[in-house]
Amino acid sequence: MDWEVISRNLEFLLGGLVVTFQLAAIALAGGLFLGIILGLARLSSNRFFYYPATAYIHFFRSQPLILIIFWFYFFVPILFGKPMSAFIAAVIAFIAFEAAYFAEIIRGGIQSIPNGQVQAAYSTGMRYHQVMIHVVLPQALKNMVPALITQSIVLLQDTSLAYVIGLHEFLRRTSLVDNREFRSVELYLFAAGVYLVICFVLSILARRLEHKKYKRV
Amino acid sequence: MIDIQNVSLWLGKNIHVLNDISASFERGQTNVICGPSGSGKSSLLRCINRLEKFQKGNIIIDGHSVLDAATDIYKIRENIGMVFQHFNLYPHLNALNNITLAPRKVKGKPRIKAENQAMQLLERVGIKDKAYSYPAELSGGQQQRVAIARSLAMEPKIMLFDEPTSALDPEMIGEVLDVMTDLALDGMTMVVVTHEMGFARKVAQKIIFMDNGQIIEKKKTDEFFTQPEHTRTKDFLNRILSYV
Ligand SMILES: Nc1ncnc2c1ncn2[C@@H]1O[C@H](COP(=O)(O)OP(=O)(O)OP(=O)(O)O)[C@@H](O)[C@H]1O
Ligand SMILES: [Mg+2]
Repeated sequence: MDWEVISRNLEFLLGGLVVTFQLAAIALAGGLFLGIILGLARLSSNRFFYYPATAYIHFFRSQPLILIIFWFYFFVPILFGKPMSAFIAAVIAFIAFEAAYFAEIIRGGIQSIPNGQVQAAYSTGMRYHQVMIHVVLPQALKNMVPALITQSIVLLQDTSLAYVIGLHEFLRRTSLVDNREFRSVELYLFAAGVYLVICFVLSILARRLEHKKYKRV
Repeated sequence: MIDIQNVSLWLGKNIHVLNDISASFERGQTNVICGPSGSGKSSLLRCINRLEKFQKGNIIIDGHSVLDAATDIYKIRENIGMVFQHFNLYPHLNALNNITLAPRKVKGKPRIKAENQAMQLLERVGIKDKAYSYPAELSGGQQQRVAIARSLAMEPKIMLFDEPTSALDPEMIGEVLDVMTDLALDGMTMVVVTHEMGFARKVAQKIIFMDNGQIIEKKKTDEFFTQPEHTRTKDFLNRILSYV
């Protein structure tokens, strides 16, 4: 074993990790935002919101992620007649894909809020968006933190799929180093270790937040 | 001030919850609604601020129909406070923020002003020292008093109470009824669903007895107790008063 290969290429590899985190963070924020809108639409009694949201969610949940990534990288640029960078394509693909999963988590979270909360809020004269923003979503999101973190862990691992369109994220860079140095065992063990540590930290975070109740600290 | 005209409410196709309800509540008066479980008392209250959309009849509040498309129902709700059996405080906000939320977001009141007002209200309901406590840290009686303060913060003209004391331990019922009595004496227009007949006798001008989605008896307070007309009212009174 030659662990030197890691330290020799550490900067390059960690640079890939930065790309991975950037992609994951943007996809998480965007996916969550779009997911909230889709989740609300799916609970709407207005069929102009309900049906499109439902169709969207079912469609994206039926497709393999890798295909969605291809789609946005190869087909959408043709549609608009403009090439797209791998990073932008990956970001859009991930937001579009993850939103479908977040939407279902959020729908469940919203449904778990007792109706009395909504009634109390409406009875003070609040509008729909105020009830959602100030009363329902803060509670729902808090209840959903464990599920959202689990989904975020999956998301973080899934970002490695962006290698298919040549995005130089962490795993892609690991394999590039391997092509040069022929040190597969060390390199991929290192990669496994990195993913393990990240997921471990995130799941500890999830568990701690799970037990946090509505109280002053 | 509140005029309920032949209101009927169905939930789904078959569940007939309210059956041709008519009643009117005068400004400055306290009206008590009682009746067995499932008789439609909560549903009637929810119709008044249109949290429930009824299919037949009408409710006129200060000359405005709650069903009329030209009526701003949100404006009407601002003027009608509502207090619930299970308090329904926002668990993620402390008492102070529970109270200031609607004044700030609905009326656009500046935070400082809203907080000053909230502190005054908390003082009025006797729990100023709990301003920064979360609902989970308060007793039932304290939570209900915060809930009343939350409603009052919108400076409503009407207050609806839905069994405000029936989820409380006996020793806390008094503290909530005291706050409500003060409100009534201050001239608030109130509609109170309750089985606290001591409170009704002392504070209410009018008492309505409901059963099965209908109004069975509608009387001035003293007449309600001394000369109820219907056997169902008498039975109900006997059952409820035998333990007082
Ligand atoms: N969501 C619902 N779905 C079906 N039926 C309902 C629903 N909510 C209420 N009902 C029915 O409507 C009727 C009236 O309910 P409501 O809550 O208004 O009665 P209530 O007089 O307030 O009773 P309680 O004293 O138990 O609070 C009941 O028969 C109840 O079963
Ligand atoms: Mg009820």
